[in-house]
This record gives sequence, C-alpha cells and structure tokens, in this order.
Amino acid sequence: MRAANLGDAAAYRQLLREIAPLLRSVVRARGAALGPETCEDVLQEVLLAVHLKRQSWREDAPLRPWLYAIARHKVVDAFRARGQRIDVSIDDFAETLPAAPGEDPTIARDMEKVLGALDPRAAEIVRAFGQHGETTAETAIRLQMSEGAVRVALHRALRTIAKLRERMME
Amino acid sequence: MKTDDLIAALASDTLPRQTVTQRLWRALPIAIGVSVAGFVVLRGVRPDLTQAIASAAVLKTLLPLIAAILAAGIALALVHPDQRPTGRMLGLGGFGAILALVFVSMSGAAGGETLLSALFVPSLFTCLATIPMLAVPILAATLWALSAGAPLQPTRAGAVAGLAVGGLAAAIYSFYCDQDAVLFYLPAYGLAILLVAGLGALAGRRFLRW
Repeated sequence: MRAANLGDAAAYRQLLREIAPLLRSVVRARGAALGPETCEDVLQEVLLAVHLKRQSWREDAPLRPWLYAIARHKVVDAFRARGQRIDVSIDDFAETLPAAPGEDPTIARDMEKVLGALDPRAAEIVRAFGQHGETTAETAIRLQMSEGAVRVALHRALRTIAKLRERMME
Repeated sequence: MKTDDLIAALASDTLPRQTVTQRLWRALPIAIGVSVAGFVVLRGVRPDLTQAIASAAVLKTLLPLIAAILAAGIALALVHPDQRPTGRMLGLGGFGAILALVFVSMSGAAGGETLLSALFVPSLFTCLATIPMLAVPILAATLWALSAGAPLQPTRAGAVAGLAVGGLAAAIYSFYCDQDAVLFYLPAYGLAILLVAGLGALAGRRFLRW
C-alpha cells in the first residue's frame, strides 16, 4: 500500500488482488442471502472505496484495521440500501430454472449499469484499463489525448462511478 | 465488469491523492485570512485590547481556543477509520462540563436578575451573528479537507469539526467583543459555538458521506 501511495501501479494491483478474496469473504459472510452476484456488486463497491479513500490510511499504522473499518462501513451501507429495494431472490425459483451455464461468478451487474450512465469517453477509458489491459500510453494514442489527460480522466471516471453507485441505491 | 478488470482499472489510477492534513494546510490559511479580513473590515479590534489581554478577559480568547484544539484533534481522528478518539472525546466533554458547572454556580450565586442583565445586552445579538459568520469560510475549508478522509459517522465528524471552527471563530471575535463579564461570554460564546457545531453536523451529513 505504501508503494501504491507512491504511484507503483504493479504493487498496488498485486495488493488489490490479494485483499479481494479476503474482502469477498467478509461481504459473503454478511450477505449470503442476497446471492453471489449482489455480493460481487458490493465487493466492487468496497474496492472502489478502498481505492478512493486510500490516503486516509496512515503509513505508520497497520493496514488491516483500516481495511476492515472501510469494508465494514461500505458493506453495512450497501446491504442497508439493498434491503430497501425489492429484490426477489433467485433462490426461490432455483428449482424451476435451469442452472446458469457456467457463468463467471466474479461478474457483477451494477458496474455495467453505471458504466452505461457514464459519459461514453469516460466509460471507454475505464474499460480500456480494466478489460483490455491497455497502458496509459496506448489509451492516449488511441483516443488522441495526452497521457496526463488520460490519467485525470480515469481518476475522475472512478470518482464519478463511486458517486453514481451511491445515488443509484437511494 | 469483472472484479479483476475493476482492479486493473483502479491500479491504473495512480494520480497522487492529498491527505486530510495536506488539504488543511492548503485551505485553512486562506479561509482564516478571509475570516480575519472580514472581521477587521466589519468589526475591528476593541480599542483597549492590550489592557484586556493582560486581564482575566484573556480567558475569552483562551477558552474557545482550547476547545478548538481539543475538537480539532477529535475531528481528525474521526475521519481516519482506524482511530478511536474515545479518550479525547471524554476530555472535550469534561472541559465542556467544567465550563457549564462554572456557569451554573456563578449564575446561581449572582441570582437570576444579574444574569439576565449581564446576558441580554445588544452585544448578544452581535456575538451570535458574528461568530457563525466568521466561521463559515473556515468551516467550508475544513469540511473540504475532511472530505478527503473516510468518516464512519459523517454527521458526528461534521459536528466536531464545527465545534473546532466555532471555537476558533469565537477566539477571533473576542478581540472585538468588549463584554468581559463571565456571565455574558460563557453562555453567549457557548451558544454561538454550538450553532456552528450544528451547522457542521448538517453540512457533514451532506458533504462527508462516501
């Protein structure tokens, strides 16, 4: 995390990958009844919060208590909001529905909706980094932007996503 | 979108983030400058300031400042989710309780009429209007800085920040205020500071959520 705060993207990615399963089990323990897809939605929200609030961790403190505090806050928030929505659990129909053909359990739905609501260029940039694994330089050339502009656009897009998700749940 | 794809996107966002403290250093000097400038233009310092500072009336400046420092430490801890400022909150609560006790016993000894005549002077309204006015720019800067943190209870964090800012604003105002009676400034400043805390709570609920 220290390296991440200094801008080491590879170390940061490694860290996020390592904490994701940990956070996933926290989320699932709390919201097993809501089904794995919703849990994955919530997990993505927690990861966004970890990312956007990472500077509220002090470098001399252990990471774990901070991480759990962030996760707990976001998980409680997310499940409270989802509790208010009428969410018919798919489990009720499980016996009459054919099993989903090997769907990847780490695909979440909410993010697609949010990306759809984002302005197309911002969504394009998030996808470029996320799904196509492009580097800043590649995206910059393809979209004819400066690298600095791509960085700022990605950062803004992630912040907007977090805000939109919050609004979506109200 | 897959979680791993999201992680890739997040890891690509390497723009440096400012901490709460960095933001405070950036915004607070400007905001305090604005407030002090407004204060000098609208109110100005009292003519007998040097004598007042040498007397017991200096408590009018010191007590709000102490409250401000205590509250500022708590507000900072409240936006760092791995910190629990329980001890410091007890400290601030104790400080407030002592002042309240002093006020109750002094007004009890002086009697209701003395209290009323000390408190209900035209300065009361000047005080209750000016302190929140001086506080608004500082509160805005503070909340902006705190929003870089992650308060688990936004309303509470906003309220404590409001206490800190209100204390600071009261300390600035005390250089103008010529009402040196304890029975005036304890309740009047206290109420004004609580007004700012209420404002901070409302604003915190709205702007410190994440």
